[in-house]
Amino acid sequence: MNDMTPDANETDTKKERSALAKWSRRGFIGAGVLAGGGLLIGIGVRSGNPVGSLAPKVAGAGEQLVNSWVKIDPENIVTAIVPHCEMGQGVHSVLAQMLADELDADWSKVRVMQAPTDGSYIVTDTARMFLAPFTMNAADWIEPTWDGLFTQLGRAADALITGGSSSIRSTGQYQMRVAGAAARKMLVGAAADAWGVPASEIETRDSTLMHKASGESAPYAEFASAAAEQPLDQTPDFKTPDQYRLIGKSAARTDIPSKVDGTANFGLDAAPEGLDLSYAATVRPPVPGTRVASMNPARAKTMPGVLQILNMGDFVAVVADSYWQAQQALGAIDIEWTPSDSPIKTTQDQFAAFAKSLDEAGETGGEEVAAKGNVADAFEAASTLIDAEYKAPYLAHAPMEPINCTALVKDGKCDVWTSTQVPLMVRSAIAEGTGIAKDDITVHHPYLGGSFGRRLEAVFATMAVRIAKETGYPVKSVWSREEDTQKALYRPADTSRFRAGLDGDGALIAYDNVFTQRHDPAEAHVPGIYAIPNTSVRHAAAPLHLPFAAWRSVDHSQQGWFIESFIDEVAHEAGADPYEYRLAMLKDAPRQAAVLKKVAEMSKWSAPRAEGTAKGIAIVESFGTIVAEVIEVDMTAGKPKMTGIWAAADAGFVVNPDGFRNQIEGGIVYALTAAMFGELDLADGAIKQSNFHDYKMLRMKDVPEITVAIINSGDVPTGGAGEPGVPPAAPALTNAIFAATGQRLRELPIAKQFA
Amino acid sequence: MRHTLVLATGLLTILLTACGSSEPPEVVEKIVVREPGAPVPAPAANATLADAANASGAAGSLDMVALGEEAFQACTGCHNAKAGAPNMAGPNLYGVVGRAAGAVDGYSYSDALAGSGITWDFATLDRYLANPSGYVPGTDMVAGAVRDGERRAAIVAYLASTSE
Amino acid sequence: MAKFILNGQPVELEADPAMPVLWVVREKLGLNGTKFGCGIAQCGACTVHLDGQPVRSCSLPVSEAEGRTITTIEGVNGPEGELSAIQRAWISEQVPQCGYCQSGQIMAATALLRDNPAPNDEDIDAAMSGNVCRCGTYTRIRRAIKVASGQLEATGEEV
Repeated sequence: MNDMTPDANETDTKKERSALAKWSRRGFIGAGVLAGGGLLIGIGVRSGNPVGSLAPKVAGAGEQLVNSWVKIDPENIVTAIVPHCEMGQGVHSVLAQMLADELDADWSKVRVMQAPTDGSYIVTDTARMFLAPFTMNAADWIEPTWDGLFTQLGRAADALITGGSSSIRSTGQYQMRVAGAAARKMLVGAAADAWGVPASEIETRDSTLMHKASGESAPYAEFASAAAEQPLDQTPDFKTPDQYRLIGKSAARTDIPSKVDGTANFGLDAAPEGLDLSYAATVRPPVPGTRVASMNPARAKTMPGVLQILNMGDFVAVVADSYWQAQQALGAIDIEWTPSDSPIKTTQDQFAAFAKSLDEAGETGGEEVAAKGNVADAFEAASTLIDAEYKAPYLAHAPMEPINCTALVKDGKCDVWTSTQVPLMVRSAIAEGTGIAKDDITVHHPYLGGSFGRRLEAVFATMAVRIAKETGYPVKSVWSREEDTQKALYRPADTSRFRAGLDGDGALIAYDNVFTQRHDPAEAHVPGIYAIPNTSVRHAAAPLHLPFAAWRSVDHSQQGWFIESFIDEVAHEAGADPYEYRLAMLKDAPRQAAVLKKVAEMSKWSAPRAEGTAKGIAIVESFGTIVAEVIEVDMTAGKPKMTGIWAAADAGFVVNPDGFRNQIEGGIVYALTAAMFGELDLADGAIKQSNFHDYKMLRMKDVPEITVAIINSGDVPTGGAGEPGVPPAAPALTNAIFAATGQRLRELPIAKQFA
Repeated sequence: MRHTLVLATGLLTILLTACGSSEPPEVVEKIVVREPGAPVPAPAANATLADAANASGAAGSLDMVALGEEAFQACTGCHNAKAGAPNMAGPNLYGVVGRAAGAVDGYSYSDALAGSGITWDFATLDRYLANPSGYVPGTDMVAGAVRDGERRAAIVAYLASTSE
Repeated sequence: MAKFILNGQPVELEADPAMPVLWVVREKLGLNGTKFGCGIAQCGACTVHLDGQPVRSCSLPVSEAEGRTITTIEGVNGPEGELSAIQRAWISEQVPQCGYCQSGQIMAATALLRDNPAPNDEDIDAAMSGNVCRCGTYTRIRRAIKVASGQLEATGEEV
């Protein structure tokens, strides 16, 4: 069926074998006919993948079908099957957009289907991009090996993941576009055979095949079945940018209509047909690592609607006719918890633990993260030394949709409906936590009401299944906002210490930094974009009392603030304009310099400033995207009020500009909410904050206009959108406050320092 | 065997637990109150708010307190009324009757309520509960108005009982 | 027995009088467009109209709705089920990200525009600041309200 030699496409000219064409070389393609005559195109990643098994696999049978992405139905509706979850980032729509462009599909007749989570669908290229980015554009001879390897690895690792601002640049670029281009070629081939005309004379547009000379024309649906019999091109040519009809355009998102009329289906809305749900409220121990010691349910037993009260050891649950009744009864149970052996009881204890590690590391100790030149000598030679210590607090994700999972356990099989970024990991966690075999567990995952990293864990699903199993009832388990705020995983707190050495001209010649929390990504901890001749970055590990979670932009979320605040300090100490100072250090980084210049121009950086107002600037490259931001702040009321926000971003090439802007805007608001208000305090080992009254959010009155400029420095998407807007926002704001007041903020959050 | 695989960077920092062999946890204590769909047991007393309001003497006010405690369930998202319990989104209401507005330690009141000069008694609480922002414009209490006068009276009776 | 008018239809059901309207409409009446966000009237995801006024249904006992009129997101469409000008503006300005808070945002905006057909930024901020959006769509909501009220042109689609 398929020729697996890497150079099967004999027509490739050297010119066509551009980077774009090369990116399409991903394994090989299978296709099959769906019941009802539809066409289904898939991209298999292993040789010998039988075409005939594709359709039944998508219908829920078979084993070998992997990564099937597009089907066409008799009504000429094109459906893109998308493996990533939709949590607000618009990925369902934009991946369909990439596929539809290569397919020349009519965008108004494109639908999106969430790929099933039975293990047949994984995101091979997402896993691969993070595990081994150096293989992404591998040589032809080795490509099938890598592809097969990462498929196997991905399957073993349950790699059906959405995260890392990666979907467009991995799945979109390497899989969706291939599927669309291949499907188009097959449809053209089928029409050419039927009409007796050369394939090269057939044009496609808006899901229609046309042959001008003969006047023949037909919707894709007419040739869907015949197309499935056509040879499959494993390396179809991609469109060149001048041929794009959808890529690079602000196509309207397919999910938005359902999100304005209340019909969008989120995890919390699960209402499985035929199930009479009971509702569970749960409470976990307030201090990590502790358990239920005892409970007194006397009062709760008498409360309306209560069905069962369960001490599960690691949590207490009340199951009732209504979630509200369950929560009311849960609140009436007196629970004793086992004592915690964590030496960290308070926020002060946590920062003391950081200080201890940093003190022990001293001026040269700790694990080396990055080293360049000779920092010690450079400090000796420096005419000015600057020391600073920054502290960042613990943060919760606080997505709008509270944590929830609906579970049915019946006849040894289990169905769950839940909002998750990692459906296959949820399946594995349930299997491990309940003893139900993985193959007997089906995870349904509707839209996520926000996530930001929160729904990368699975404990809530396991808890729901345990309750369903114990009670025998189909149960919707809902965490209160308080539970989510206090019993989750968190953006870690950290302390970061800096030393800078400046020469007589004020140039930054030596940079030393040591901090305690090192998770991901690796580049987050290093001021890598700047030309600094002597650099030392060190990690002095310290224990965390609260469990770690990836929080939108992960380590960049605190490191962006640390580094860009300190660089700002250095610039001011050097007597330089903080924009000009950064620009001077970007002389060997033209893309970064262009982004910085753009944001300065947009924000009228150099224009005279009104009394009491000032602007701050910051630039961070994260997840492949360079983002610079300027924030203007008005301090005339004695506390910061933001009056303007500007961002410039270079993600290589932006597939949907409006969607990209929306993500950058959202990242900025998310980051500024944390910068202004975000803080989790510990008392007796437990988190004090509980809900939006004490874990405060930016609101509309707090957020000024945000202007986002996009720089397309290339013609393929090389950077992400969801996270890169976050890291520069907090430093741009605190740098603005410094510019206005001379007050350098070295701790967050901001608001309480101006209360 | 338990092994972990770290998918290198970004949000893919997920510790995977494969090949788990630990036994699923067992329930420690299970109390079955009622099966779903089974009839709800009749309440011990069939008193209504009106009965309680019309009744006189100690028994009547006890009914009011009991009914007020039940009605107060609608307030427990933000308030509790137990001695020593922490403030929630709203202040602890234990002993509120007879107290000055804005007086609970450690609770951050709106300027409007803190500066209202109100002392909470049956009349002022009744007025406030009927329309919080009408009585104290600028209060942070944006929900929780109780339109029914008898229900308000019961809630206030319950709150008053907490300080007795 | 609780009795009220929901989206123009009379409703009668058995419910604990203290149970918030949020859970009554979601669990007992199957209308899932109204969302649970915080449970303490801080986020606005559960906003419905009670006799036309925006209220937080998570903190509104069903006893308080007795004999009154409740409108949810499922009831703001036009008589033929067509989208309201506000909903259309939410689409033209591509407001929602995750979309979870948007039912509440649209209910708040609907009440605002009914009372104030041409709100300025301050009016909008005042009316909408009870509604949290964690995705950060505030600037788009502000713009969409101006589009819906005819103060701005709708953003055109590129395809």
